[in-house]
Amino acid sequence: MPDTMLNMTVNGRKVAKPINGQYRLLDFLREEVHLTGAKEGCGAGECGTCSVFVDGKLVKSCLMPTAKADGAEIQTVEGLAGRGELTALQQAFHKTGASQCGYCIPGMVMAATSALRENPYADIEEIKERLGGNICRCTGYTKIFEAVELARDVMNGRLPATALDPDGAGESYIGNNVRRLDAPSKVSGALKYAGDMVMQDMLHMQVLRSPHPHARIVSIDTSAAEALEGVECVITHKDVPGKDGFGVFVHDQPVMARDKVRYVGEAVAAVSAETHEIARRALALIKVEYEELPGVFDPEEAMQPGAVVVHDYAQDNVVKHIPIRKGDVEAGFAAADIIVENSYSTQQVEHAYLEPEAGLAYVDHDGVVTVVSPSQNITHHRHMLSTIIDKPINKVRFIMSPVGGGFGGKEDMIYQGMLALTAMKTGRPVRLVFTREESILSTAKRHPSRVTYKMGLKNDGRITAVSFRMISDGGAYGMSTEGVMRKAAILSLGPYDLANVEIDTYGIYTNNTPSGAFRTFGAMQAQFATESHLDICAEKLGLDPFEIRRRNMMKIGSLTHTQQKLETVSIAEVLETAEAFCRWETGAPTSRGATRTDLGGPDTRASCTLGARFRQIVDDKKQEVA
Amino acid sequence: MFTFDHYLCPKDLREALEMIERLPEDGKIIAGATDVVPYAREGRGGDIHFSTIVDLSRVDEFRGYEIAKGKVRLNANVVFQDFLEDDELRAHLPCMPYCAIWFADDQVREQATLAGNIANASPAADGTPPLLAMDAEVEIARLVDGEVRYRTISIDAFVHGPGKTRLEKGELICAVTCRSMKGYGGSFQKVGQRRSLVISKVSAVALVKTSADGRTFEDVRLALGGIGPVPVRLTDIEDMLKGQAITRRLIAEASVIPADRVASRSRVEYRKRVVRGFVEAAIEDALVACGAPMPTEEQREAAHA
Repeated sequence: MPDTMLNMTVNGRKVAKPINGQYRLLDFLREEVHLTGAKEGCGAGECGTCSVFVDGKLVKSCLMPTAKADGAEIQTVEGLAGRGELTALQQAFHKTGASQCGYCIPGMVMAATSALRENPYADIEEIKERLGGNICRCTGYTKIFEAVELARDVMNGRLPATALDPDGAGESYIGNNVRRLDAPSKVSGALKYAGDMVMQDMLHMQVLRSPHPHARIVSIDTSAAEALEGVECVITHKDVPGKDGFGVFVHDQPVMARDKVRYVGEAVAAVSAETHEIARRALALIKVEYEELPGVFDPEEAMQPGAVVVHDYAQDNVVKHIPIRKGDVEAGFAAADIIVENSYSTQQVEHAYLEPEAGLAYVDHDGVVTVVSPSQNITHHRHMLSTIIDKPINKVRFIMSPVGGGFGGKEDMIYQGMLALTAMKTGRPVRLVFTREESILSTAKRHPSRVTYKMGLKNDGRITAVSFRMISDGGAYGMSTEGVMRKAAILSLGPYDLANVEIDTYGIYTNNTPSGAFRTFGAMQAQFATESHLDICAEKLGLDPFEIRRRNMMKIGSLTHTQQKLETVSIAEVLETAEAFCRWETGAPTSRGATRTDLGGPDTRASCTLGARFRQIVDDKKQEVA
Repeated sequence: MFTFDHYLCPKDLREALEMIERLPEDGKIIAGATDVVPYAREGRGGDIHFSTIVDLSRVDEFRGYEIAKGKVRLNANVVFQDFLEDDELRAHLPCMPYCAIWFADDQVREQATLAGNIANASPAADGTPPLLAMDAEVEIARLVDGEVRYRTISIDAFVHGPGKTRLEKGELICAVTCRSMKGYGGSFQKVGQRRSLVISKVSAVALVKTSADGRTFEDVRLALGGIGPVPVRLTDIEDMLKGQAITRRLIAEASVIPADRVASRSRVEYRKRVVRGFVEAAIEDALVACGAPMPTEEQREAAHA
């Protein structure tokens, strides 16, 4: 309905515009009214990055058809305060450090504003409940709740307005509350992430992805898509002018699938068109003929002789094997009083940053191919892209846009190549914004791992030998697997002084979604195994879990299994502090269970309940009755 | 991606019925729109194009509610947030604030209608179990030879399968009429994977009226959701409790029985265990809402010993 005029008041300003292909209020506000404070985090009403007020009620603008808001009064995050000013709530977010990546923050500020408008005296439980529709991935919410309570108290006069002023740094920044420089731009919605950026004459890209985990590409026919009015270009692997291939350690991944696809969601072709809608329609017109191949989905199966081979260069499907040896493991096991064996597995995990991947590319006035994206590794991307597009490094530029959460998930150059190729082919700027579904489907995950543990111990808890074997599912491409396997091997055995050690970590190719960098870079999977195993050993030996760790911990002068002589060691202090803070009841794990006395208490979080706002009313009624 | 050619906002019931009479196959009727837009995404409905959308949210007759003769008539555009914020509705439908607080979040509740919830007829719909417990009837309108005609159908007959209702083409839900439950204690239990914005794995509703001395169950109404193709009312348990002295042991005994009603295709054992706890908790919470003291953990344990 391109010709229907809509009339709204947006932040006090009259807006009369046609829908113009922006079917949801969120798109209309962002693309037509150019207010990008409301973001799209999920497009399904789950995350709250798009919250706006419609006739005084907070709603999720991604769920509202644009025409539903005809005649309405809209307020977005940009309209909360005057230009260059911040509301008390926005100042409180600044003060407490409530904004980190900032992508959820405009929505979070809106939800908090709504909560305090609905009940200016809301207590913490009610605040939590009213912010329940907004997700933050960085903060753990604590700083956000602190900010809302601070603002509430200032607005109610319980605290002076000066409570919003910055704290003095004093003599040192360390240990003092220092405000983030970028917070005002985040709490006001002014900060532009890649998906918020617009250039004149910009094209919109959509990506055709593989429906198969493993298949040979017989043919790709893009002619019907190219013929569609409004389509500017379609690119495939054939458009790569240089040496195709990227990856953090091994350059095994083409910009778009070449010869075969190796996982569901792998990019096969990319369409760029005048509008997002035309690009979506063109995708359906691309014909790809696949010949399905048997796949391998379990890393241990992939290691067997005769298994399906994912990459020709790695006939054994091994991305990387990291072996580390120290001392004499056989002698160590022989000297043990007890040998404890177990296996530990961890699952695939999505990073779930609130900002889905997005990027913008153009060729500038000097012919420099420029890519703007929330990349966590722009220098490496720049070097790889220069090889892929066969241009000297001074003709390739990467600009890092604000990263709306990364956690390692934005280290891989999975879409920037397609943007660069399209900008080069068309001479026009081009933007790609992933949907949440696309982000989950196609980007790297945390390595699922299986650790087989064998540990020899003396009856007093001292460890005599360890054998640690980790098999990790690297998925279809190498990405950061090599580094993750190195880190897993280095940090595998924790802060313990061990004489006899045998470590093997393997990253294995499969036809699963590629695994890549994710907070801790492999240490989490290894530590989960090691610390769980120590608890189990403590139970078997009747030892206190802190005690078994103290008997094995590293000391100044200890030699690690990577032959590093330690000059400072803090594990003793860490154990002591942790033990005191959790009010630990001394004893072997077997002596605990329902009778333990160290559950609950200060600094522990009560389980979730709902109904804080009317529980108050019920309580009041009861008092009236009494 | 959610796209459409025409978007119609009828102002009254007649106009709405005329529009839906002419609605082509690829048209769509919406109210709050909180289900249709997320459905038109990859992995669910994919890109969906509607030739015409009829948005009922401005239909005059669908606004507000009326309370008379022991009945509460909820017109079709009553949204879930109303059950939390409206004092009259809270008094007459005492289980609905607890149902609403578990439904989606504050922002979705501002848009999502009760009528839309039952029209979608999800086995996990939060709105249906309370309506079953409150003997709700659905008023449906259609045009016959240009005249608006109405028919009424009970909620248990209206929802008859996953996504299946007795609503025919050309018909609209005008209102849902419940018995007023003023004086009852109400409660709602729900479990899903998180607190806000979650689809129920199991839900349970209870409405309890006690004798003046608070010692006897005068009336009990119970229903479960998420445990099979359609939500169910637990009349056998209600009969077992009605007229009996209120004891922890009786409640505990009654709560064991409905586990057999679980007819879901997945997580059957889990759901059975939840149902047991939920029926007990729902009755106890409803009693607390009547003014009874909250049982302690020890009392609960003792009742199950």
